[in-house]
Amino acid sequence: MAEKIFCIIPAYNEGGNISSVIKSVGKYVDEVVVVDDGSGDQTGRIAQAERVVVLRHIINRGQGAALETGDQYAKKKQADIVVHFDADGQFSPDEIDRVIAPIKNGQADIVFGSRFLGQANNMPWLKKQVIFPLARMISKLFWRVNLSDPQSGFRAFNKKILDRLRIENDGSAHCSEIIIKAFALNIKIKEVPITVSYNNFGQSIFGGKGRGMGGVQIIRDLIISKIIN
Amino acid sequence: MNQQILALVLIIFLLARLLWQKKRKKIQGGEFVFWLIFWSFSGLAIVFIKYIDSLVSRLGFSSQGIDVLLYLGVVFLFYLIFKIRLRQEKLDQDITKITRAISLKDKK
Repeated sequence: MAEKIFCIIPAYNEGGNISSVIKSVGKYVDEVVVVDDGSGDQTGRIAQAERVVVLRHIINRGQGAALETGDQYAKKKQADIVVHFDADGQFSPDEIDRVIAPIKNGQADIVFGSRFLGQANNMPWLKKQVIFPLARMISKLFWRVNLSDPQSGFRAFNKKILDRLRIENDGSAHCSEIIIKAFALNIKIKEVPITVSYNNFGQSIFGGKGRGMGGVQIIRDLIISKIIN
Repeated sequence: MNQQILALVLIIFLLARLLWQKKRKKIQGGEFVFWLIFWSFSGLAIVFIKYIDSLVSRLGFSSQGIDVLLYLGVVFLFYLIFKIRLRQEKLDQDITKITRAISLKDKK
């Protein structure tokens, strides 16, 4: 029986990109789920016009929260494989097949796309030299987790992970959270190279688009969640 | 002496406000008791500041009792900020849960 592949796209004020992202992703998956995270623009309406499932957060809760909403929907619809994909058009949809391949052939339960494994990309200096080395250091120091890309939003996982992994960090700290939890679950983990084209610089040290998106907020959220949990 | 009187007046004012809030049911029982004990102890510390001075010096601190109280106050404030931050985090999580439930409700 063919596996049901769901693509979850969290979107916050992505009215300019969402239509093309949905169109380009649609051919690689069975169902596209857009989580409109309290956008103030036409993101939700544009996504609905593309005849995909649109889940709407009435207020902005952050990318992690939107992904968890999408995951819960996918679980309810008995998805076999879930792909997390950004709405800003920076990822390449034709790499979805490569990301889900290790899951399909049983090599991995969860696959993380990595921007540091050889695929060329035009990553901004601040991310490459400051934000990511810092995030890697914190992941290593606090959780002894060692992956090349601690903040990649492009990942895929199977039903086993969908059932067992809950995203609790509402902001961008969810990227590290998913990695940390995946390692704790003692499952098969794989990284594959991905290409990212940075069409705008949506994240900086102190802030970004949506809730909990800045580098400092990510580190703060990770430390707080370490204390709370 | 004047400083002690001033501090005591302030504490009496805060205690009166606390009782007024309790009377108007604007504060919960547990919180009322906590602040009542806190301000009562603060008042006693001000009244018996000389005893605290000697206690502090017997414990080996070079500063005066009032300074030690100030340091403890700062530590306590940091603790309160930390508690408030955790509570805010919990509220944030609850808001997310409600938002999520609403978004999923119509998609059964």
